Amino acid sequence: MSEMQRQVKLPMRKAIKIAWRNIRVRWWRSMLVTSGIILALAFLTYVLCSDAIARGVQSGAPQRLLEQLRKSGALGAAAENSSATTWWMVGLALLIAFVGILNAMLMSVTERFAEIGTMKCLGALDSFIIKLFLLESTFQGIAGTVIGIVVGVLLAVIEGLARYTFASARYIPGLEILRFVGICLLIGVLLTIAGALYPAWRAARMQPVDAMRSEV
Amino acid sequence: MVEQSADIPAAGDSARDASVLAAAHIVRAVGVRKTYWRGEHAVHALAGVDFSVRRGEYVSIMGPSGSGKSTLFNMIGGLDKPNAGQVFIDEVNIAALDNFELAWLRCHKIGYIFQTFNLIPVASALDNVMLPMLFAGMPQADAQDKAAELLKKVGLGHRILHKPTQMSGGQQQRIACARALANDPTIILADEPTGNLDAKTGRDIIELIRRLNREEGVTIISATHDHKMLAVSDRIAWIRDGLVARIQNREEIQIEEGKIGADH
Repeated sequence: MSEMQRQVKLPMRKAIKIAWRNIRVRWWRSMLVTSGIILALAFLTYVLCSDAIARGVQSGAPQRLLEQLRKSGALGAAAENSSATTWWMVGLALLIAFVGILNAMLMSVTERFAEIGTMKCLGALDSFIIKLFLLESTFQGIAGTVIGIVVGVLLAVIEGLARYTFASARYIPGLEILRFVGICLLIGVLLTIAGALYPAWRAARMQPVDAMRSEV
Repeated sequence: MVEQSADIPAAGDSARDASVLAAAHIVRAVGVRKTYWRGEHAVHALAGVDFSVRRGEYVSIMGPSGSGKSTLFNMIGGLDKPNAGQVFIDEVNIAALDNFELAWLRCHKIGYIFQTFNLIPVASALDNVMLPMLFAGMPQADAQDKAAELLKKVGLGHRILHKPTQMSGGQQQRIACARALANDPTIILADEPTGNLDAKTGRDIIELIRRLNREEGVTIISATHDHKMLAVSDRIAWIRDGLVARIQNREEIQIEEGKIGADH
């Protein structure tokens, strides 16, 4: 009589399109979350890179330049960046960004209970709902992380050049900075995904029946 | 209470009977029970309901709130599973389905119309109607054509790119009707479809649903309090205390309707 089939998985392209539309609708809130990520990642990148630049200059620059820097007092201050206080603040910034993502995504799930339920009534799979929320968060995460890293690296380089003079530009450890950029990118993206996991799971767990209820 | 129906053979060749049943009935609920737990307290929303819906029929489910009406409605729509008993939709026992199969069933066999329309506010009417087709895996271009066609059918051919927020309640419910038809379902489930509409708009929507029922041959199951809605039903099932208390046929409904008309 009736042949039962299994629901097909929707192509990623469609999920991306819908996720992008959802971000556009909540643009200013998304920007707020993104700015939190930008600040946190810029801070992290800045601390890592300015440390690397200080070390690079100290180990690479010729004695004559080092002597000059020591006289002007620039070298003495180099160690202060990596103090425990700084790392506490970096941790705090990352935590705030994480909580910001978590909160914004939870809000976004809660206000869309009916919409999620409706989509499930129309044939959306749990995995699609999860994908949707993870994508939304990842878009914001990648945007925030990339901007944050660019800002952090620029700040560290500009500050380094100002402190150690342009003569030290060739001792900036490019490879090491690149490595830190990679690490920060990973941290930023993992942070956003981690922040969206619980909200996405809650959204997927919703029953389609809930779409029928007008009041949540 | 067991529903008695003339076209159901009582006994005999079971294989043949099964196929006759299947041909005649799109939905069968057999001894369906559902119990919710409120802490220590058990709420028997459904206490053994037997109820069938024939193919192409327009059935209304009536009952006060707390009667188990919504629970039965949700079971029939594949949205909820019973604790005991079975619900067959197109002769498939929904309790035996996994999530992928249930999603497929909801996507292809059932169209939903909600009291609160439940459209995606930021998407155009066209995108809203296309959504179930995309879930079904239909190519974008085909989905677009079909959605435009369906919107034309419900009288919104001129507003396909408008967003639901720019439209009246009646127009939003029309979009929802078009969306419900997206994947040519065999059943349309309408939960108080006129509940948020004024009398005139409500009547238009009822007419539309009735027309879809006749023209497309789609089975309509609605939960409603709206007497206009009851008047066009083929049958009405009255639910009370988790049981089907009474089933009214078309003739009785018309007689009652006539009586109401004469009284006023």
